[in-house]
Amino acid sequence: MIELLVTVFSATFFVTVVRTTTPLLFAALGGLISDLSGALNVALEGMMLIAALTAVIVSVYAPWYVAVLSGIGAGAMLGALMALFHLRFKADIILVGFAVNILATGGTVFALSQATGGDKGTSINLQSKAVPAVNLSFLEAIPVIGPTLKALLSGHSILSWLGVFMVFAVWYFLFRTPYGLWLRGVGEYPAAPEAAGIPVAKVRAWSLVASGALAGIGGAQLAMFNYIGFTRDMTAGRGFIALGAVLLGARHPVGAMLAALLFGVFEALAIVMPNLFNWIPGEMIQTIPFVVTVLALILFSYRAQRARQMRTLSKI
Amino acid sequence: MSSTSPSRWAMISRETGRALTAVVIALAVALVVILLTSADPGAAFQTLLTAPLSSNRTMGLWIDDVAKLTLTGLAFSLVFQARQFSMGVQGQVYMGGLFAALIAMSPIGTTPLAIPVAMLAAMCAGAVYGFIPGYAKARFGASEIVSSLMLNYIAILVVNYLIRAHLAPAGTGQLMTAKFPETAVFPAILPGTRFDLGIVIALIATFVVWFLLYRTSWGLKLRLVGHNPKFAEYSGIRSSFIMVSAMTVAGAFGGLLGSVFVQGRAFGNLAQNFDGNLAFEGILIAIVARSRPLAVPFVALAYGYLRQGAQLMGIRTDVPTEMISVVQAIIILLVASSFSLPGKKFFTALLGKKSASVATPEAVK
Repeated sequence: MIELLVTVFSATFFVTVVRTTTPLLFAALGGLISDLSGALNVALEGMMLIAALTAVIVSVYAPWYVAVLSGIGAGAMLGALMALFHLRFKADIILVGFAVNILATGGTVFALSQATGGDKGTSINLQSKAVPAVNLSFLEAIPVIGPTLKALLSGHSILSWLGVFMVFAVWYFLFRTPYGLWLRGVGEYPAAPEAAGIPVAKVRAWSLVASGALAGIGGAQLAMFNYIGFTRDMTAGRGFIALGAVLLGARHPVGAMLAALLFGVFEALAIVMPNLFNWIPGEMIQTIPFVVTVLALILFSYRAQRARQMRTLSKI
Repeated sequence: MSSTSPSRWAMISRETGRALTAVVIALAVALVVILLTSADPGAAFQTLLTAPLSSNRTMGLWIDDVAKLTLTGLAFSLVFQARQFSMGVQGQVYMGGLFAALIAMSPIGTTPLAIPVAMLAAMCAGAVYGFIPGYAKARFGASEIVSSLMLNYIAILVVNYLIRAHLAPAGTGQLMTAKFPETAVFPAILPGTRFDLGIVIALIATFVVWFLLYRTSWGLKLRLVGHNPKFAEYSGIRSSFIMVSAMTVAGAFGGLLGSVFVQGRAFGNLAQNFDGNLAFEGILIAIVARSRPLAVPFVALAYGYLRQGAQLMGIRTDVPTEMISVVQAIIILLVASSFSLPGKKFFTALLGKKSASVATPEAVK
């Protein structure tokens, strides 16, 4: 037990948490935007998976930033596809989302075997690149706290820093710009913005595209930093956990970040625990993020329900 | 739903036409994908379309898939009719499979009671597993989508662990249990194929779900809750009870599918990751069948054919089986959408119908 505490309060654990949180954070922000516009995006999982594979394959031939951008593009295109079928052809958003997920589970394996020449498991024989880590070793020069600062802040993926910025950017967009107001209005009560002349369908479509783009960054981080390369079903439920984070995060970017952080901590625990407790079967440790998600979801939904009853708001 | 349309047959033929159009479009896309990727596209496409009929064995594989797809389609239909998006069938399949296996490997497994008791145990396990997200939603307002998906992952990991560490024959390092005693495995209807009791169970289950939904007051309430929860609430239906019970009953069918999996002739044991993602394909079946239980076996028959064709294409040609997911996604997208495609008139003309009959407002579900 002591070893666990020592591990948890170490700087390397913090770095691990940041690493595991980043994909969840991006996906959760993406889910948040589409959720606020009134479309629950259950396809985060599939978007991340497809973006991860796209980024890996592109990174073989192009610099890492092009690969990340292509991952973003892949996610955004899936968002546009969802918008097309949901808004224009009036399909149920959840069914459309699962269509994307199904496309992703099979399609990535298919594309992977095409790209690697028959390997359906991993992209191990592709020379894919990584997202560079930000080296802040100059912080060590600061007296007293320098080494700690360096241990905590140095070595994160560029995308992790981008993630922190995106929390702010999404907050600013949602709560400080007119477009953010449109988006929230469309999600809250579409008839009102419609009457005010706001293009409701367009707002929803763009929020789905943005949602896909953000999930795409998450996928790129997963396949170009957390792991280098693509493995079959590598998202392993992260998109759905991110969806849980959206629901827990009280529909606020900071809330989504905290929820993503919570799940990131438990995922990081699942990474370090096998080394500490080799008597606990690995499968049981792997269930931790999922169990925590269910429990947290139930707990927070219960609290939200209570709060709603107090305020007697009609509908979420 | 059926009473609003001029006649049942018109509706059935319209829905069939829509589904067939979707399949044709999806197959056309599949053909393009195969043309782009295969060295011998002709052979690959031909295998996809004809291979399931090539021998008794492949026909057996097909029918085995149909049975399983029917059950998962029924489980999804039940929750979809109540407008619940519980995606927990996969978890229920694993739990059901686990408990069926436990019964089959216990002393009961060697008695004639093995099959019914194992099926019952599987259904109970599945029902409990379906109940959890339902209760979490009804009581706490927790999204059933997320909780049921999380429970899927948990079930798979737990079952895989139990197989690896406890149920597999010690010391072999196998990731499956030993074969069940012959009394616990479904008897084959046609010897030497996988044509076994599963298809009979699936057909009985179809009838049971139809009866539950359309001939009981519970089913009426369930459909009302699905159509218009507010109206249902006003008319005194306890929608939360209906919600939970729908998910629980669907869970029982998911569990039953688990027992059909492990006790069927295809396995006859419990293996890691045994469902091969089939459970999720029930979404497609339920959507194409418009959640009508009586349509589910027919959709399963057609889709199972395609699925088996894809499996055989993956084995016999250079196009991987996973290519079929493109077809799946397109079918779901097209059938779930209201089909007001730009080319709709063209398609209706193609199907030889008057556009007026199609122009009747398509009910959302």
